[in-house]
Amino acid sequence: MSDAQPTDFDPVEPNTGEGFEPVEVFPESDDFDLRPGADSCYKCSVCDTNCPVAEVDDDFPGPKFQGPEQWRLKQTDDDYEIDDSVMSCSNCMRCDSACPSGVPLSQMHNTARGEYVEEQMDKLSVEYVRNRILSNYRLSASIASKVPRLANFAMNFGPARWVMEKTMGVTSERDFPEFAQQTFREWWAARGGADASRANAVESRERRGEPADADKKVAYFHGCYSNYNTPDVGKAMVHVFEHFGYEVVAPEQKCSGTPMFANGMLDDARRHAEVNVSSMSDLVDQGYDAIASCTSCSMALRQEYPELFDIDGIEKVASNTFEAIEYLRIHEDVKGEIESAEVSGELAQEFAYHAPCHARNQGLERQAVELFRDLDGVGVEDVGDSCSGISGTYGWKEEKYEKSMEIGDEMFEHMEHAEGETGMTECPTCAMQMEHGTGYEIRHPLELVEAAVVE
Amino acid sequence: MASTPHIAVIGGGSTGVGIARDLAMRGLDVTLVEQGNLTHGTTGRMHGLLHSGGRYAVSDQASATECIEENRVLRDIASHCVEMTGGMFVKRPEDSEEYFQEKLQGCKECGIPADVVSGAEARQMEPHLAKDVEKAITVPDGAIDPFRLVVANAASAQEHGARIETHSKVTDLLVEDDEVVGLEVEHASGPGKRVHGTEGGTEEIRADYVVNATGAWAGRIGDMADLDIAVRPSKGVMTIMNIRQVDTVINRCRPKGDADIVVPHETTAILGTTDEEVEDPEDYPEEQWEVDLMIETLSELIPMLEEARTIRSFWGVRPLYEPPDVGSEDPTDITRDFFLLDHDERDDLPGMTSIVGGKFTTYRMMGEQISDHVCGKFGIDAECRTADEPLPGSEDFSVLRDYMDEFGLRSPIGRRSVERLGSRADEVLKTEGPNPTVCECEGVTRAEIQDAISQSGSDLNAVRIRTRASMGNCQGGICTHRMASELHGEYDEGIVREAWDELLQERWKGQRHALWGEQLSQAALNYALHATTQNRDNDPAGGDPVDFAAFDSGVDHTDDSGTADVAADGGKPDGD
Ligand SMILES: Cc1cc2nc3c(=O)[nH]c(=O)nc-3n(C[C@H](O)[C@H](O)[C@H](O)COP(=O)(O)OP(=O)(O)OC[C@H]3O[C@@H](n4cnc5c(N)ncnc54)[C@H](O)[C@@H]3O)c2cc1C
Ligand code: SF4
Ligand code: SF4
Repeated sequence: MSDAQPTDFDPVEPNTGEGFEPVEVFPESDDFDLRPGADSCYKCSVCDTNCPVAEVDDDFPGPKFQGPEQWRLKQTDDDYEIDDSVMSCSNCMRCDSACPSGVPLSQMHNTARGEYVEEQMDKLSVEYVRNRILSNYRLSASIASKVPRLANFAMNFGPARWVMEKTMGVTSERDFPEFAQQTFREWWAARGGADASRANAVESRERRGEPADADKKVAYFHGCYSNYNTPDVGKAMVHVFEHFGYEVVAPEQKCSGTPMFANGMLDDARRHAEVNVSSMSDLVDQGYDAIASCTSCSMALRQEYPELFDIDGIEKVASNTFEAIEYLRIHEDVKGEIESAEVSGELAQEFAYHAPCHARNQGLERQAVELFRDLDGVGVEDVGDSCSGISGTYGWKEEKYEKSMEIGDEMFEHMEHAEGETGMTECPTCAMQMEHGTGYEIRHPLELVEAAVVE
Repeated sequence: MASTPHIAVIGGGSTGVGIARDLAMRGLDVTLVEQGNLTHGTTGRMHGLLHSGGRYAVSDQASATECIEENRVLRDIASHCVEMTGGMFVKRPEDSEEYFQEKLQGCKECGIPADVVSGAEARQMEPHLAKDVEKAITVPDGAIDPFRLVVANAASAQEHGARIETHSKVTDLLVEDDEVVGLEVEHASGPGKRVHGTEGGTEEIRADYVVNATGAWAGRIGDMADLDIAVRPSKGVMTIMNIRQVDTVINRCRPKGDADIVVPHETTAILGTTDEEVEDPEDYPEEQWEVDLMIETLSELIPMLEEARTIRSFWGVRPLYEPPDVGSEDPTDITRDFFLLDHDERDDLPGMTSIVGGKFTTYRMMGEQISDHVCGKFGIDAECRTADEPLPGSEDFSVLRDYMDEFGLRSPIGRRSVERLGSRADEVLKTEGPNPTVCECEGVTRAEIQDAISQSGSDLNAVRIRTRASMGNCQGGICTHRMASELHGEYDEGIVREAWDELLQERWKGQRHALWGEQLSQAALNYALHATTQNRDNDPAGGDPVDFAAFDSGVDHTDDSGTADVAADGGKPDGD
């Protein structure tokens, strides 16, 4: 046992978030200075040609205008307004990785969007209220999951959806995701929390011939979706990590902030980030690494947090955050174990795999294809590098629905072409879009790893 | 007087147009001739500081007092050319405390509002100031756009009946019976608006009086009538940064020295400057070390400049003058004041006065004095109104409007256009057809370009100074061909090519001293773009008009038999 861990420490114990120094989103410091970033743009327009929204939306001026150009034009005066087109950016961050010159485009968009919402958007407008509700998915989900059956019925009840579209601008074309009967956290607590996980990990280590006190421990950032909607993904994560000898803790956490960035709700995002950073940084100090199963959550913790907020411990958390499979591929011979495994039963399928944009940004777009290449009983086909089009809350907006589906067309088509009728992706909202466009059932790579290596 | 006197003004810099406007408003007949564009001389190559007078508050209090007076006047009459940024004189630990106190005292004596702020307060206003800046004096410095100001003065003069001729060079003074009676002028492209490739011609412009407002060139005009006007041209370098590192004018608080000021100007910040006497105002060396030295020295005040992107550098020559008996060694010691040289009194040659020295900020006052002087010659008792009547564009108006809705423009683009156009915004931006953005870096739309073309003809450099198009970070990489296309329709291909060439040349010239780091990447991209998509490296047409009629007219799409077998991209229409 590592002696860094105090015996009375229970990471499941809620962290109240007290003792936090509130910080300004845009403090007068040069930490968030976008000047050097604006200097880097040489107008090549590569970002524009990579933007999925600009491709389908002629009114959207594209990332070059949205980012460096607008930033530079409005420098001269404090009361310059942000162009409202910034609300059409879906925050897919493709422009970030497209730029050959390292311009921090998504940071510029996020900053501009935050400013727009804070200063120019009517706080009583339907759009604001709708965006606020959509981006605070965690709140709705936590209420709904208290009464999952009722919620599942009510949320997809025709007349109610019609009213939602007409009054709030939430498209009635989509089905709301189902809420699980038991959340991940309920399952986790019932299972015995961190203590149970430690016992399982020790058992695995013995089986694997590793020292019982090996320093292998991770803090799981499950995010909202695997908690309320797809606890199977969370369970798979726990099972897989325990299998490789890791003790898992599930610290107190809130929304990663991804939907809030995309809607410019930076105040909300910061409040949540403070809690997340606080609990994660305590654990990082004790030798834990932070693991997310959702690529947008890992993106938020790694990149957006330090770009947008100044919170104690934020850099430390950012540099110790990993996506689950990425982490295993770094530290374990997961590919070796998978090669000698075989999958039969429910998951012995041909999968159409879509790499989420945010996975792409972290360089993870090939991991699933590479990992499962030699797994007997399954096939994984990459459906190409297009964007799924939903980008979190974007595709839920009534006025964006059509465009979202137009962006997704290429992916749908490739999915249809691929063998098999099951999809695979790391991102929960991409999964919704894949399912919506093709009717396929969508699985998470961790579920397949679980099926392959965990007996 | 029986007939209205006709006054010829030589020089289309701030001084010349200031005089032309004043005289025209007093009812005189005025013709102004300028050898290049408006602002071709020093006025187009200056720093853009609307002086509070603080810089002269210790060494030259007469100039300082004039500056603060005119500073107030220009804020009023030229609001669309001025940005009141405020300014500071900052003191570093090694700068003299005694001088700091003298500066403060000097400002008070000259009526310049000045307050001391601590280093921390200064950094709160300007976060990028060096951490060891100890304190600062705040003054009402501002930024002023010399191009817009000069164009507005010329437009106002024209409204009052003046004739303004650009690209018209004075080649001789007409002297008859020991009196100056007019000018001999060579038009580069005929009188009126500039049209490239148009035959010029020589014109004799007879005048009742001539005003020589040619700044650093004043001696040359003097030579034409054997007059000795000893202007001492002194060069200074300025470097333009891609973005604003500061939003206030930052001066270094020390007696004198090179590289001691940063002026935020539009989307950029301009670093300056140096002071070195040169022989010839048109031909002097421009050296890289001057730029390097300036960036290095100013980084002591604003450390981030060291790494920041510069987009170009340019040099200007000050038209310094001092009466022959003073004999200063160092050009920085020469007064910044201006002088009227009445050649009748001075050289027994009636009919002409030269105005030399001075600075941009006091251009209006210079115009007023010389207009008084000229009116005096003709016994005209007309009042000067230039201090009260706003310039075209600065009439009563507010920039805070909803441009997006009004003009269908994206908000920061609409906002910038309206800031540039001032009260002319409605007139220019309300157009019938689509109004796309032509210059993306500076947010200039087609309507503004067309407005400028209607003022200045086929001259794209004149369009540039009116609109700022091609003056942003890509330095014309993305927009020069678009600007040239805007000439189409009114002008034919040969003219468009020539205008386009001239603009490109001008844009490259200033980048020669900025070719490292990001601007080098930009230049490489521009070169590749222009070479590969526009044949700019080696145009097979070689400047000769292209025989467009020799090309076939392409596939006839009205014919629906579907016989065309080649798609626009060169592939088969049904292939993938
Ligand atoms: C580096 C530098 C920085 C400066 N910064 C500032 C500042 O920040 N603030 C400020 O207030 N002042 C500043 N000044 C001073 C200011 O720029 C000048 O005093 C002012 O612009 C002079 O204007 P002008 O009209 O007298 O001369 P010019 O602008 O030089 O005008 C003279 C014109 O005469 C024309 N001409 C010459 N010969 C002929 C001919 N034969 N026929 C027809 N036309 C002819 C020229 O082409 C030229 O356009 C600066 C000067 C320099 C050099
Ligand atoms: S984040 Fe995505 S949608 Fe937004 S500008 Fe960039 S590429 Fe376009
Ligand atoms: S890709 Fe990068 S350098 Fe190119 S235009 Fe976009 S932001 Fe500028």
